[in-house]
Amino acid sequence: MTLTYPMPEGMPVRAQWPRLLLACPPESVRALARRLCEQHAVQDIQLPQSGLALLKLRDSAQGEAYYPGEVPLAVARVRVTSADGTLSEGAAQLLDDRASLARAIAVIDAVLAGQLPGHEAALPVLAAGQARLSEQKAQRQALLATTRVDFSLLGTTEEDDDE
Amino acid sequence: MGYVAIKGGGRAIEGSHAAVEALRTAEGDAGAPLSLSAIEHQLRLLTSRVVSEGGLYHPRLAALAIKQMQGDTLEAAFALRAYRSTKPRLLEMPVQDTSKMRLIRRISSAFKDIPGGQMLGPTYDYALRLMRLDLADESPEAFRSVASRFMQQRPGADLPDTFPKVLDALRADGLLPPLATRAQDAFDITREPLVFPVPRSAALATMARAETGSLLAIAYSNMRGYGDVHPTIAELRVGYLPVMLPHPVTGELIEAGEVLMTECEVVAMYESDDNDGPPVFTLGYGACFGHNEVKAIAMAILDRALQKGMRDGPSNPSEDPEFVLLHVDGVDSMGFASHYKMPHYVTFQSDMDRLRTTQSKATQSTVTATQGVKA
Repeated sequence: MTLTYPMPEGMPVRAQWPRLLLACPPESVRALARRLCEQHAVQDIQLPQSGLALLKLRDSAQGEAYYPGEVPLAVARVRVTSADGTLSEGAAQLLDDRASLARAIAVIDAVLAGQLPGHEAALPVLAAGQARLSEQKAQRQALLATTRVDFSLLGTTEEDDDE
Repeated sequence: MGYVAIKGGGRAIEGSHAAVEALRTAEGDAGAPLSLSAIEHQLRLLTSRVVSEGGLYHPRLAALAIKQMQGDTLEAAFALRAYRSTKPRLLEMPVQDTSKMRLIRRISSAFKDIPGGQMLGPTYDYALRLMRLDLADESPEAFRSVASRFMQQRPGADLPDTFPKVLDALRADGLLPPLATRAQDAFDITREPLVFPVPRSAALATMARAETGSLLAIAYSNMRGYGDVHPTIAELRVGYLPVMLPHPVTGELIEAGEVLMTECEVVAMYESDDNDGPPVFTLGYGACFGHNEVKAIAMAILDRALQKGMRDGPSNPSEDPEFVLLHVDGVDSMGFASHYKMPHYVTFQSDMDRLRTTQSKATQSTVTATQGVKA
């Protein structure tokens, strides 16, 4: 059976794992998954596959759903069994076309979710992903912060502001 | 007259492929191949255009297509669409919320004090269109230092990732109709042909993949007078949309990745409410993959124009769904124009035969008429 364990304090929640792992260099994620695969029995529940998905949005004028185009998608789902027989299921759905990367992340997802032996090795990888995302966020915030318009300088009276 | 096989066609075509490659690499020892990363980042607006017109958000493959097609956006979009046609569709996605976009730019020409403030972000709007000659011989060292210097000089501000939409404020003031969530499923233009009349979702999907110049040209006709949208940009935003998919094991929504998008809402002339309520502004909506503001604005104007055409019948080309939607696709129109380069020897031979026959008859009638006059 698949068990859900309480996560250690300070560990990112499961919903963030794929994003954090995607932010890491792919070779580090694959290397971690390879080590975990050597440690546990891994069975594919859904074969790793890459393809597409239609992006679905709702327009903000009339609330109508529409498709602006497609995105690449790689999916994988695995069941990991540790030496003591503990089972854990993991999966990954990534906006990416590398099915092998999706499988690697699915393996890590399973090991982390079940806190199977070796899951500690994933924590620094998640932290590295977090650091990269923080850096990315800082870059994007810099684009906003340096270009924020201060309209209070444009005029001192309401008449000026109306122009 | 029938089709005839010729000897050297295959070799000539192979030779043309080699000739194209020879020109791509003509710099020889003095050149260096373009990296996909350089195209994706340094030609980011070109990459944006190709992901949008190709209908597939894959910036790296778009960069490859740009490299392969030597900068031809129509051919690059064609290559991206050809690639997508080889891939299976894996899942049905839930509706994504564009108010969650992680913005890098947001402006409004309707209000200066929009909730959250206006941030110009990366834009050429206020740049002088003078050539920057220093870029002509930019050193790698100078190039590499720009981004890090920008980060060092940034003001310390803790800004949110997302911002409220300007339309929400207008709605709260009763100036816009309430946003209804329509149950009708979206039209998939990749699987179904456009048979008119088409739902608005088909129009939005077609325009989101449209060729930028085509969309702009028809929207421009409306702006210049062949239409009456008179838009004001309520909000133009550029940012990264997090795409949320349910985790296959837990069912919880998780972020599968993000998509750079441009979104625009224009406010147009107000109209009376159909249900005897007070008059409210009308809206047009535009959005596309990548950073392409002119396309999003043009799409929003055309969306508003098409709404009028669908409701009251078109008064101008830009209000006619069939005219607009069948003429804005770059791959379609490029294909039709390019097909004229294909051999038309048989049809043209037939044209010549008919012309000669007509000329001969005309000559005979002239001779007969002249003889009649003499007689």
